[in-house]
Amino acid sequence: MEYVSPEGLRLDGRRPMEMRQIRAEIGTVARADGSAVFEMGNTKVIAAVYGPREVQNRSQQISDQALVRCEYSMANFSTGDRRRKPKGDRRSTEISLVIRQTMEACILTHLMPRSQIDIFVQVLQADGGTRSACINAATLALADAGIPMRDIVTSCSAGYLNSTPLLDLNYIEDSAGGPDVTVGILPKLDKVTLLQMDAKLPLDIFENVMGLATEGCKAVANYIREVLLENTKQLEYRRGL
Amino acid sequence: MLKLELFLRHMVQQELGLVQLMLLPVSRESLENQVHCNLTKERLLYMLIVVQLQHQCLRGGEELSTELSVALQRCLLGGKSGAGSGIDPSSLVIVEGKVCWDLYIDGLVISSDGNLLDALGAAIKAALSNTGIPKVNVASETSGDEQPEVNISDEEFLRFDTSGIPVIVTLTKVGRHNIVDATSEEESQMSSAISISINRKGRICGLTKRGGAGLDPSIILDMISVAKHVSEQLIDKLDSEIAAAEADEEES
Repeated sequence: MEYVSPEGLRLDGRRPMEMRQIRAEIGTVARADGSAVFEMGNTKVIAAVYGPREVQNRSQQISDQALVRCEYSMANFSTGDRRRKPKGDRRSTEISLVIRQTMEACILTHLMPRSQIDIFVQVLQADGGTRSACINAATLALADAGIPMRDIVTSCSAGYLNSTPLLDLNYIEDSAGGPDVTVGILPKLDKVTLLQMDAKLPLDIFENVMGLATEGCKAVANYIREVLLENTKQLEYRRGL
Repeated sequence: MLKLELFLRHMVQQELGLVQLMLLPVSRESLENQVHCNLTKERLLYMLIVVQLQHQCLRGGEELSTELSVALQRCLLGGKSGAGSGIDPSSLVIVEGKVCWDLYIDGLVISSDGNLLDALGAAIKAALSNTGIPKVNVASETSGDEQPEVNISDEEFLRFDTSGIPVIVTLTKVGRHNIVDATSEEESQMSSAISISINRKGRICGLTKRGGAGLDPSIILDMISVAKHVSEQLIDKLDSEIAAAEADEEES
């Protein structure tokens, strides 16, 4: 199957190095301490952060830092065929772990000992790149909750089909069976916190693809910064400053 | 009274060409509801309502979602064969007794501030009015037991008829007063609550009483008449919001 046409257009009309449309909204869940909705093309994810609050399970309390918990689940209607098990299956457990480790690396947990931060991520529409969208949404939600972080974490995926590196794969390209590299970075500090790949790639091509994904992360970071700035301006305006 | 802002989003699904319509009603609680139609052979009629509560911000999430699912099924669906259902099952039939559509209604509660049942009922009504059932062409010559050949159209859709779908109004007894549309603070003090589902014609489609405190039978009849009055306003408001949202969607 041809994923990149001879003119250089992908199945949804994008260029190989073009990302999907990103949209983000902060503060959507009133009850949560921080929340955000993040859309990458057709993939739509909602993240809610509760915390820092008292640890619910005393035995898990850590005396010198905060406990970070994360739960990833997909809504029944998020994928094409109705899903039976929204969470608790192996993929969801793995992604919860991945998001938790990524966010834990950037939260300044030593500032909030003996407390707990809960991150809940729910996929409303899945069209490839849910992992990245979840991390981006979680970053926004943590910022909305006012939790101190080293830097924002942004994530993007890239693949390699028809001998072309492709940025930001959608579901069809993802299920093509080609390699899928997901990168998560701390943009200001320029450090990689998440790197995952499936299928196989020769090393030199891998460098290209990873470089492309990193560029995508930086583009997402710029957008997230704009959204956060705009949100802060709104808050200032409402406070009458 | 419930204030509902409805906005519609579209997502076109890849292979089957089914339009999955997702409706996001944002009330004091945020709810997301989607109706997804699937082709099923050999089944008479199957409708399922599942409510999922997001994040265990609510204690007892599993039980609460089961309770809500069952209450919604009681209010909206009828008996096993689909008879007496608030949601008209005749539009789901393709070949009588052989092939029909499965209807799955998944409700997702994103943020809860009390009165979930009413909001879910309103969301279901709104989502169903947004649903399109693809037209199916059936091959005419089939012998008795064989499965008929079906051809699902990608382009043409039939609209669901939602005029008969009831809305749910919950009256909560707090102290000596009965209130409509309770917040979670008010619900924490409730002694009992009645949820009544009423359709446009003013007929009662379902009744659920929760809470251990006893209620005088005459009070229940009063509550039902109050609920009828409130439901008229709610249905009017809902219909106008749905129409406005659909008009917005057609413009964009």
